[in-house]
Amino acid sequence: MEFSEHIKTANVENVVLRQPLHPPARGTLCVTGHHLLFSDREERGSPQLLLLLRNIDATEKRMSASSGTITIKCKDLRVFQLDIPGMEQCLNIAHSIETLSCLGHVSEMYPFFYRPVDVNLQEQWGLSSPEKLFGQTKEFHDRWRLSSVNRDYSVCPSYPPTVIVPKVLDDESLKKVAKFRQGGRFPVLCYFHRKNAMVIMRSGQPLTGANRRRCKEDELLLQAVLGDSNKGFIIDTRSSQQAQQARMTGGGFESKSSYSCWKRLHRHMEKGRALQESLIKLVEACRDESHNMDRWLSKLENSKWLSHIQTALSTAGLLAECVERDGHSVLVHGSEGTDCTLLISTLAQIIMDPHCRTLEGFLTLLEREWLQAGHPFQERCAHSAYSHAHLQHESPVFLLLLDCVHQLWHQFPLALGFSDSLLLRLANEAYASNYGTFLCNNDQERCTHEVKTRTHCLFKALLKPSERDHYLNPLYEPTELAIWPSVQPQSLQLWTEFFLRWEPQIQHIEEAKKEIKNMISHWGKLVLDDSCSVSLNG
Amino acid sequence: MLLQPRERGGDCEQQLLGSPSNIILALIGSFCSVAVGSSSTMMSNNELSVCWSFFGEYCTSVFFFLDKDIIYICPFNGAVKGKVLITNFRLYFKSSYNVSPTVMLDVPLGAISRVEKMGGASSRGENSYGLDITCKDMRNLRFALKQEGHSRRDIFELLFKYAFPLSHGLPLFAYVTQEKYAENGWKIFKPMEEFRRQGLPNNKWRITFINEKYDFCDTYPHVLAVPFESKDEDLRRVATFRSRGRIPVLSWIHRENQAVIVRCSQPLVGMSGKRNRDDERYLDVIREMNHTTKLTIFDARPNVNAVANKATGGGYEGDEYQNAELVFLDIQNIHVMRESLKKLKDIVYPNVEESHWLSSLESTHWLEHVKLVLSGAIQVADKVSSGNSVVVHCSDGWDRTAQLTSLAMLMLDSHYRTLRGFQVLIEKEWISFGHKFASRIGHGDKNHADQDRSPIFVQFIDCVWQMTKQFPTAFEFNESLLLEILNHLYSCRFGTFLYNCESARDLHDLRSKTVSLWSLVNSKSEIYLNPFYSPESGRVLYPVASMRHLELWVSYYIRWNPRIRHKQQSPVEQRYKELLALRDEYLKKLEQLQLTDSFTSPCLSHSPTPNSSSPTSTSSQQFTHLHTPF
Repeated sequence: MEFSEHIKTANVENVVLRQPLHPPARGTLCVTGHHLLFSDREERGSPQLLLLLRNIDATEKRMSASSGTITIKCKDLRVFQLDIPGMEQCLNIAHSIETLSCLGHVSEMYPFFYRPVDVNLQEQWGLSSPEKLFGQTKEFHDRWRLSSVNRDYSVCPSYPPTVIVPKVLDDESLKKVAKFRQGGRFPVLCYFHRKNAMVIMRSGQPLTGANRRRCKEDELLLQAVLGDSNKGFIIDTRSSQQAQQARMTGGGFESKSSYSCWKRLHRHMEKGRALQESLIKLVEACRDESHNMDRWLSKLENSKWLSHIQTALSTAGLLAECVERDGHSVLVHGSEGTDCTLLISTLAQIIMDPHCRTLEGFLTLLEREWLQAGHPFQERCAHSAYSHAHLQHESPVFLLLLDCVHQLWHQFPLALGFSDSLLLRLANEAYASNYGTFLCNNDQERCTHEVKTRTHCLFKALLKPSERDHYLNPLYEPTELAIWPSVQPQSLQLWTEFFLRWEPQIQHIEEAKKEIKNMISHWGKLVLDDSCSVSLNG
Repeated sequence: MLLQPRERGGDCEQQLLGSPSNIILALIGSFCSVAVGSSSTMMSNNELSVCWSFFGEYCTSVFFFLDKDIIYICPFNGAVKGKVLITNFRLYFKSSYNVSPTVMLDVPLGAISRVEKMGGASSRGENSYGLDITCKDMRNLRFALKQEGHSRRDIFELLFKYAFPLSHGLPLFAYVTQEKYAENGWKIFKPMEEFRRQGLPNNKWRITFINEKYDFCDTYPHVLAVPFESKDEDLRRVATFRSRGRIPVLSWIHRENQAVIVRCSQPLVGMSGKRNRDDERYLDVIREMNHTTKLTIFDARPNVNAVANKATGGGYEGDEYQNAELVFLDIQNIHVMRESLKKLKDIVYPNVEESHWLSSLESTHWLEHVKLVLSGAIQVADKVSSGNSVVVHCSDGWDRTAQLTSLAMLMLDSHYRTLRGFQVLIEKEWISFGHKFASRIGHGDKNHADQDRSPIFVQFIDCVWQMTKQFPTAFEFNESLLLEILNHLYSCRFGTFLYNCESARDLHDLRSKTVSLWSLVNSKSEIYLNPFYSPESGRVLYPVASMRHLELWVSYYIRWNPRIRHKQQSPVEQRYKELLALRDEYLKKLEQLQLTDSFTSPCLSHSPTPNSSSPTSTSSQQFTHLHTPF
């Protein structure tokens, strides 16, 4: 592939960069296949701006006879301006940015070119696998098994090759179940609650259709999930009305008559476009510069972002309650089972399982519940809040998850082992990254594009000693207890570290947090480590 | 109207208190009666010991009046049966043993603003007969009793009398209690010492005792700092032109650039547009001291209010003040603030308005008012730190003015961000300068609808809280201190927030007859410390006063709601305590290292030499110099 055909002007001198938190600077702008670089002449060393073109969500240009201004709006919500001398140069640069920032081909993306010096591609990709999870939970091997029915992705294109299913069902039955579930997403185990041996399953909706089709194997599978217990819950992330309507288009829900031991609970969760529009409104409100008592709170409310968080957290709380408090197994699905389903199963696991609250545990959870489970990152994160492009499959579900985790972090400052800067980092990486982790829509696509052999893994990188320290919560105190979030509107707060991150005040708070972190680690080192005095003496 | 506590529920008293001979119940109206035994004799029963343990060290002066069966109509758990216990200090309720979850109430009588009878002897419906209690601290309580036999009369009369002692010719509780603390909090603020700390007097500013007997201005402190060249006669002439004689005096001086914050009341311009050359000259003297072309006068009020004040003889500085610029800060008056907080209470208590929470919150305008106060203070601080002296006033100069000067000083002077410095700031800018605590809070006064009441001080503490949120390492104290201060703003257990001004306090021997809140605070200071405090003496803090960066102080305004999570309070507090201990240990080690290494280790040589003053501040400073990254 040749990027150079899109780059008519690679270098421009005398460009003025106006970006938040910095004074305007004059220097040289450079466009490469994947980056926008800016360095001012005085400063040696690292460039002042090194931006992945992929990070650019929208551009606006304003031209005059002799120069032009390009406003660049990034997916990380930063907005900056470039004043470029010469109309032609400016148009060329704008054209390059517009084209290169939304290249469609996965294999042309930067992660395939990113080669940091200190790591090689031979390292094992990723942190976990269904096999590993299964190996760790020996106590339920009598009822569950590892199936590789999907080894060539033919049964369910969005599932990983191996999944955990009830032992009584053979692979042939699974194939039948897959035909009865949207996207072939037959119910699989995603969480095993050690305390009471209850499980969380997730799937796509059953394809009952208008004429109430049934599937014996599907009923059998769910019956097998229950084992000796005689009751389970199905949490449907749609309202019961929506679920009814879905039957008209071939979807549906588990009827009482066919699944007598299962009780359905409907919780209407917004997804898709509604969520994307909510994000757009919120970001607009956050960027509103007018100071006329700016009706900020009303705007925040109107964006509905916080109410989406409330719904997500309370539905996840409901799920956790079913499993942890009431001792029942739960199946979660909406329609496709690739968005809200994953959102609440993830949150419920963080609420219940202390292991998911550690840095490694959390990343492993994300890998299992979002990457392996087939959340279509490529589609969902193609654009963010600024894009004028016609929206197709964009939806900030993953961002909503990170925000929900941030709310937990805020409500339980001691209970999570990772810091909130990890959430911020993940929010960036999901939209534009040096790493291959969030590329593609599912495991199969990653396999096709050889993502796991030709790119580096973000999660591995985050766990390297050099990075790791930065993402640990200095106040962390592990607790075995479930952390039940409060979902009262007063308990939920705007994630200012993300949404207002380009305001100086938030930077100050971030610096103060860093300082606190340094303090705690310093105290700990000197007090706990007596060798320190030796080194000082020496 | 003697209460006969044993008439009713005498059995239960015996059961509660063990041998009744240990206890001589104090009778109403005679404070000299023997107090309830010693605390140890009363611990015979768990329930009571829970209650009495609250009273702790000042138990000997608590008079136990009444305990009886009652139903608390809890907004969160419904009607709860239990026992109410009333002393001359508090109302205490605990649900019966068989009620789950346990419901407890602990209300200092000082926090009560209104007691009303609800329903009558013939009212129908369950729990329709009882008492309604409105509190000053963002909650209301409702109790139901049996309809027979005037069962609420004793409790109503007790509450009415002891919640509003001043309306009944009784002393406030602070005058009754005999608490003892290791430290005397009244000594925390010595005006002369504070002036000396600021570098006063100097060649431009002198200290005057013109108000020593409070006959110059009865609402001002007894020592004042005024321009060196203004003679006492000048001051007297200026006083005639300033509302209530509250002349412009110095609150704070910038050590390097010598710019000052001066506070006063409005000039008495009136409808006829009176002038006073002495006042004009006086302000110009203040300007000249800093060789700036303009003196900035911040009038805290909205422009229209300032104009309207002319009708009642007040006003603002007009064009005749040639070298001054007048800036209106648009902060509303005490009545607007009172109504705003009332609206806030309506949407958070008992149940939180959920469906349109944010727009409801917006419609109370509370955060907007907080924003205006903060942004006013920022403007003051900004002027001063750039070398311009400022004058701050509102109408009388004891509400908005106090908010603005004290917040600006908090931004400018890191000393006020320490635990003790903050106490000095409150003592100085609020208490000594005559913020009318008695009128604003209505201590011991039954007149709940008094138009003089207003949550101005609460609003100030809210602003401080907003600052601590924005600068998590800049304050030596933590949120618990702010909450404690607001608790005792109402409790009347300490003398600190009693009376309207210094002269009234002296008249009532406040300092000798009551205990200071700072005695309590400084005797257990560790629970009020922020483990992450790292002092930076030169730093001016500019908080962001934008709605986007202000939060509702949920852990104060919605603290009575059990459904709101307050950050898992106890484990966090525990962790902070551990961290404080860790920090102390760290500092100790560091000090040892410094001692042993003082000759050999060059890497520590730039740390300041330890001095003998407060050990925490010294050592934390060492710490900062060594490790603060910026």
